[in-house]
Amino acid sequence: MTRDAALRDQTRSRAARPRFGPAALLMNLTVYPLMALWTLLGIAIFPLIFPGWKLVTGWGSDRIMRHLIWLYGRGWLLLMSPFVRFRREGLTVAGIRPPAILIVNHRSFFDTYCMALLPVYDITFAVRAWPFRMFWYGGFMRLARYLDVENLSWEECVAAGRRVFAAHGFLLFFPEGHRSRDGRLQRFYGGAFKLARETGVPVIPLCITGTDVLLPPGRFWLQPARVTLRALPPVHPSQFPGPSGHLDLRRFVRDRMVEQLNGGTTEQRPTRV
Amino acid sequence: MTDQEIIQGIDKALLEEFEFNADDMRPEAALGETLGLDSLDYVDMVIVLERAFSFKIRDEEAIRKIRTLGDIHAFVIGKYRQQEREA
Repeated sequence: MTRDAALRDQTRSRAARPRFGPAALLMNLTVYPLMALWTLLGIAIFPLIFPGWKLVTGWGSDRIMRHLIWLYGRGWLLLMSPFVRFRREGLTVAGIRPPAILIVNHRSFFDTYCMALLPVYDITFAVRAWPFRMFWYGGFMRLARYLDVENLSWEECVAAGRRVFAAHGFLLFFPEGHRSRDGRLQRFYGGAFKLARETGVPVIPLCITGTDVLLPPGRFWLQPARVTLRALPPVHPSQFPGPSGHLDLRRFVRDRMVEQLNGGTTEQRPTRV
Repeated sequence: MTDQEIIQGIDKALLEEFEFNADDMRPEAALGETLGLDSLDYVDMVIVLERAFSFKIRDEEAIRKIRTLGDIHAFVIGKYRQQEREA
């Protein structure tokens, strides 16, 4: 499929118009309160769990925090599971090997929560400044040493990336920068790809669908959905030499994701979570 | 190559690389506010223009003063004409 044809053919996963039926009503009446409770519980038990974990494992605070965030996400998946069918495809510990840069398309506020579908927990999110301003999450994000890419210089981003990769971790980017309003993949900002070229770390594209049915931008009520997170094969930056290599890498990755989001096929079989 | 053809070449190269909204591609469009370029994109934009027009501009002082798409048009046209004179 050509690049232009792929771009033309992109369709949103929101095949049907949103309906606020009985299932959606039940979902909104239960999931939102349960999410609030789960978050409050997490905040309440954090002062007990965190030092205990540190004492037992001797891990660094940031690593523990990233693991706790992943577990929080697993709890969120459980809360959602009566109403959302989660599937993961191509996501195996053997396939998602650190260090790597994870590239994810962005359709919903809940895309970040869905990263708990990944079989790995040591993920450092590189995000814009606004999520750090959510007072109930911001402190935990800083403790996990998430990157605020809007307020870090390029040199600081590279240094942070090298630190993550040296510890065999993952750095996760939403290269579109914003949630897509129409389900189409937007243009990719270049930082993640430049970093891949500079550090020699592979890029693993992840395609998420269905979260724009669950909670698209501009809507506040939830709708039952089928959410799929699919990993594409890693892309090695060494395949894209030269001064414009990061641009070619960006285009290659984006084209693969467009193709996938358009219904391209892969050999992996889906596994129900 | 006429000025208009150079402008078309610039716009085509930038549209292809950065996937701007075509309606935003006006000479007065600010690179940051209107077209959404960040600081890394500015560097990439230079690479894209060098690749499209086969010249080196990354060390030019004037490139740092570019703020709008029209500034890019004027800069590249000037550079292209300079190359023609020197050839």
